[in-house]
Amino acid sequence: MSEMLLEVQDLVKSFPIYGGLLQKEVAAVKAVQGVSFSVRKGETLGLVGESGCGKSTLGRCLIRLLDPTSGKIIYKGRDITTVAGEELRELRKSLQIIFQDPYASLNPRMTVGAILEEPLVIHNLYPNLKDRTDRVRHLMELVGLRPEAYSRYPHEFSGGQRQRIGIARSLAVNPELIVCDEPVSALDVSIQAQVINLLKDLQQKLGLTYIFIAHDLKVVEHVSDRVAVMYLGKIVELAEADELYVNPMHPYTKALLSAIPVPDPKAKEKRIILTGDVPSPINPPRGCHFHPRCPMMIEECKAAYPDRKMAPGRHEVCCIRA
Amino acid sequence: MDTLLEVKDLKTKFKTEDGTLYAVDGISFSLQKGRVLGIVGESGCGKSVTSLSIMRLVQKPGEIESGEVLFRGKNLLKVSESAMREMRGRDIAMIFQEPMTSLNPVFTIGDQIDEAISTHRPKLSRAEVKARTIEMLQKVNIPAPEKRYGEYPHQLSGGMRQRVMIAMAMSCDPELLIADEPTTALDVTIQAQILDLIRKLQKETSSSVILITHDLGVVAEMCHDVIVMYAGKIIEYGTVEDIFYRPRHPYTRGLLDSIPHFESGQRKKALTTIPGLVPNMLHLPKGCRFADRCSRVQSDCRQQYPSLQRLRGSHKVACFHPIEDVRKDVSISSEGGSQ
Ligand SMILES: Nc1ncnc2c1ncn2[C@@H]1O[C@H](COP(=O)(O)OP(=O)(O)OP(=O)(O)O)[C@@H](O)[C@H]1O
Ligand SMILES: Nc1ncnc2c1ncn2[C@@H]1O[C@H](COP(=O)(O)OP(=O)(O)OP(=O)(O)O)[C@@H](O)[C@H]1O
Ligand SMILES: [Mg+2]
Ligand SMILES: [Mg+2]
Repeated sequence: MSEMLLEVQDLVKSFPIYGGLLQKEVAAVKAVQGVSFSVRKGETLGLVGESGCGKSTLGRCLIRLLDPTSGKIIYKGRDITTVAGEELRELRKSLQIIFQDPYASLNPRMTVGAILEEPLVIHNLYPNLKDRTDRVRHLMELVGLRPEAYSRYPHEFSGGQRQRIGIARSLAVNPELIVCDEPVSALDVSIQAQVINLLKDLQQKLGLTYIFIAHDLKVVEHVSDRVAVMYLGKIVELAEADELYVNPMHPYTKALLSAIPVPDPKAKEKRIILTGDVPSPINPPRGCHFHPRCPMMIEECKAAYPDRKMAPGRHEVCCIRA
Repeated sequence: MDTLLEVKDLKTKFKTEDGTLYAVDGISFSLQKGRVLGIVGESGCGKSVTSLSIMRLVQKPGEIESGEVLFRGKNLLKVSESAMREMRGRDIAMIFQEPMTSLNPVFTIGDQIDEAISTHRPKLSRAEVKARTIEMLQKVNIPAPEKRYGEYPHQLSGGMRQRVMIAMAMSCDPELLIADEPTTALDVTIQAQILDLIRKLQKETSSSVILITHDLGVVAEMCHDVIVMYAGKIIEYGTVEDIFYRPRHPYTRGLLDSIPHFESGQRKKALTTIPGLVPNMLHLPKGCRFADRCSRVQSDCRQQYPSLQRLRGSHKVACFHPIEDVRKDVSISSEGGSQ
């Protein structure tokens, strides 16, 4: 097995809500509520869950775009939870992110060439102009952008091509780990497939490690080695992708999988239809967060958050009924 | 079978600074009573403009140029605006992707559904209207409907807002419901609730539904018939079995094959892709609009546009060199007769 790249221990991130006359903290959005996992070099860890469950917040904490409230992030054996200043800037070279909305994340007034050069300038890489231009051209080739694209602006590209620009930009500084935050969610299926193949191809070529966030479970299953399922700030289940999809143990994972419409008219699977909506992360339910919607709920589920259980095959699940 | 809607050679154009584009470029199809028709295709292919054209809600710079929209035999493109306004909501209702844009933020949801009902049923008393509204909210599984009646749209979750939209759309028992990406903005577990609801209401009232989506899984699950659109044209039409098991157009086949599947081990393989991009609607090629991306392209494809030809049963395809073989990676074995 390859070396451990990233270890996350009991990570918490809350966003305080201020109110009242004195603008005191009156409550907090508990976006990530104690998450632990590890990722090996070259691996893809998928992160799935419904809107607002904390996927993006977790992803941003991991690469230190957000400061965790508590917990630890260990990168290559080194605690990076609180690094700052020059050290953090140096770290940013290794940890990159690709966003969902390629358009919003690209400066409309910069050409593709300038967009790709910017991170190199910031990090003082390739100080010689000719080397830098070569590097940019190489990046463009890597992600399948034509050379003419160099002097064009983002609005002249389609969604899929813009996502390629975003990918090239994240690759510019030679990162080791990339958080892919819904990189294909805004794209049509045929274009989505192109971008997924590109990401997998680059992973092979460059030995990249991915944290792949998406709400489409089919996409996550396809790209990930292991998958973590989140619900209201917690990881409720984590297993190898094949194992999770064949043998889901948490009732939430089961419901999530059964809710995916299958592109086969005769595949009439029995659907688990959950009632109600995801509760607010400001006041999460006591006990297991999922209990108000859970078809398998018993009294004990309301008492305390369930401990993490280890099932065979590195399969982790937090459910007393599993 | 009883035809509810028949669209004939419908053309809707947009005048832009760079020229005129035909978002819907001569499409024809019909919809039978009690059937659910899916419209699929990539972003910009004309799905929404098709539905807006049927409702006569195309906004400037858009304009319906020609064609017929026959609803129970009556051409909607010829009726007066006031007659059309009466039919909207009563005979044909529509729900959109983002319910927030179609719900008025300054009125309670109760007021808005009341209004929809009383517009078309002026004889009902206020109490009767309110009772009907509560009944509709109950039908779409809104918990504590009496309390929600007095709430504003922003107080509801996205899933609940979409349910309110459905309650409003179904409140006058329309014969045709047009749902444009009704679940695209929602999570899968909420999507499952909403689709289940639409299916249930559709069966109960045996209304017809046009369901617009880019999710082929949703189509497979919900629809009887399917239209596949590409660059303003219908390139394939058939029953849901025709489309998923025997797609004839290389584009339809490409779309189906580019969806990631669940088979274990398969994820190691690269996904099948359709190379290239959809054409610019302002500069369309002379022949088949898919030619530049097609693996089966031949010289005749670039000479003229292949018209929609009938194959077997209701199955139609617009392709000079359609695919002959059936798709193997789906459960053909489980395929019985038509449902
Ligand atoms: N800067 C912030 N201030 C306050 N609350 C925030 C902030 N960022 C996120 N949140 C809240 O934290 C919770 C988790 O949000 P997050 O964006 O991580 O979810 P997500 O799983 O990425 O959802 P989506 O699938 O919609 O992208 C949400 O309730 C969100 O409203
Ligand atoms: N107001 C407008 N001005 C100019 N062109 C328009 C306008 N509205 C739509 N179009 C064009 O009409 C075509 C069809 O648009 P339509 O909204 O029907 O696509 P769609 O299939 O619904 O796509 P999506 O899946 O993104 O909703 C597009 O190419 C679009 O550029
Ligand atoms: Mg997010
Ligand atoms: Mg649309």
